[in-house]
Amino acid sequence: MEYSVEIQDVKKTFKLWHGQAGSLKSMMLTFCSRKPEELQALKGVNISVRQGETLAVIGKNGSGKSTMLGIIGRIYKPTSGNVIVRGRVSALLELGAGFHPELTGIENIYLNGTILGIRTRDMKGKIDEIVQFAELEKFIDAPIKTYSKGMVMRLGFSVAVQVDPDVLLVDEVLAVGDESFQSKCYSKIEEFQKLGKTIIFVSHDLPAVRRVASRTIWLDQGLVHMEGSADSVVDAYTIDAVPGKEDKDAGEAN
Amino acid sequence: MLKELSELYKYRDLLTQLVVRDLKVRYKNSVLGFLWSLINPLVQVATITLVVKYIMRVEIPNYSAYLLVAYLPWMFFQMSLMDASQAVLKHHDMLKKVYFPREVLPLSMVIANLIHFLLAVAVFFVYLLVIGTPIVATWLLLPVLILIEFLLITGLAFFISCLNVFYEDIKYIVSVLLNILFYLTPVIYLSEMIYTKLPAATRNIFFSLYQLVPLNTIVIAFRKLLLPPYSVPPHVKTAFELKDLPFNYEFLAITGVISLVIAILGYAYFNARKWSFAEQI
Repeated sequence: MEYSVEIQDVKKTFKLWHGQAGSLKSMMLTFCSRKPEELQALKGVNISVRQGETLAVIGKNGSGKSTMLGIIGRIYKPTSGNVIVRGRVSALLELGAGFHPELTGIENIYLNGTILGIRTRDMKGKIDEIVQFAELEKFIDAPIKTYSKGMVMRLGFSVAVQVDPDVLLVDEVLAVGDESFQSKCYSKIEEFQKLGKTIIFVSHDLPAVRRVASRTIWLDQGLVHMEGSADSVVDAYTIDAVPGKEDKDAGEAN
Repeated sequence: MLKELSELYKYRDLLTQLVVRDLKVRYKNSVLGFLWSLINPLVQVATITLVVKYIMRVEIPNYSAYLLVAYLPWMFFQMSLMDASQAVLKHHDMLKKVYFPREVLPLSMVIANLIHFLLAVAVFFVYLLVIGTPIVATWLLLPVLILIEFLLITGLAFFISCLNVFYEDIKYIVSVLLNILFYLTPVIYLSEMIYTKLPAATRNIFFSLYQLVPLNTIVIAFRKLLLPPYSVPPHVKTAFELKDLPFNYEFLAITGVISLVIAILGYAYFNARKWSFAEQI
């Protein structure tokens, strides 16, 4: 069986500089006295994702979910360990990256598309489809500063799904938008599943995890806490999350 | 570095789009739009000419042309390095969310400034033809000059844009240094004035060192290769003797090499640190 994504003993440590981060003064001070506080976001994670699989990652805030997606999406380099990704990765980590408020919808489609790695000439043929999917036919020549938040998001999503990735990373984006748009997003994800794409998504939306994911991983404090079918992991996670059990993690949250 | 360059080549459309965005956005809400990039140097040059010629009474025939030919490359240098400090930082939303070769950010900014510079140079040539400056063969070297300056600026922009992510003092340091550099570079005066001020015994050594500073030679080259040699007609009385020195092509070649080295070092430094930007911001 071919693996799309293999994560081998990946650790990621962020350096936190307290006080005046990013100035020469603080650099001099810390050089003489303090060391930055180190935050271990991932403490040795092993995950293998088969081709065509839809993997959900759940866990509390600060458990390392987003860091893991960031590492697969090549936004962060791991501190140690190996990440092997076969095929083209596209990340729906934030919709509309690089959108500029002064530019029109069309201009932003080109800009956003090239940020995601699509060639301009490939974008040309897709413009109509993108505009239609975003339901923005009437507004597409207006600067997007005149758009509502929902419109900007729809536009961002419509461009992002054009990338035609082998591996799609989704981070929480489906939690926003009205219901009709959300259902549109889910049907797009199902379309990707049918096409045999690998999908890794991070979500707090547990019913969605049960519905979409073929396998689920529960991350806790930078480690894989549990791995298995969506139902079994979500069940265990729900029981764990009842009030009262949170106390032991209260200090870790900040 | 070759691997980085081939990845950058794959993202060349992004570079184009970012340049287009920069150019479109800069003057989007102003009535005069692009004209501002011409008005700005012209007003500067008019003001300096006024001060030097009529208040300080330094008699240099055709001073405003000599000033403008040096001021345009200076402005390209200054504007780019000022923009460089924010080139990466202001795109923090993109850096945290999307993979792309990070170097497109400073590069697109320098290219956008280059385009403004080229348009200003085009207008400058129209002006030269209108005032009847003789057309000379050395005008053909203009693309070489521009390339050398582009390499120098790109290399420095890589250093500045990268360092400013980690230490935001950099942008203040850059702006102070640019203020000083404006007076150290032969923009408002001729390089010959420096030459005559140097003690005769060590004149040649110091003037050689002076020309090893890339920006000095670039500005000198713009002046000497585009405009006729500076000369004072016999009937005009000037406060001091000034002989036009011939242009030294060796220093242009050396400057080209230095600029290329700065560009490569800047790119290497940027590459070494570019994947920690997302963690820092």
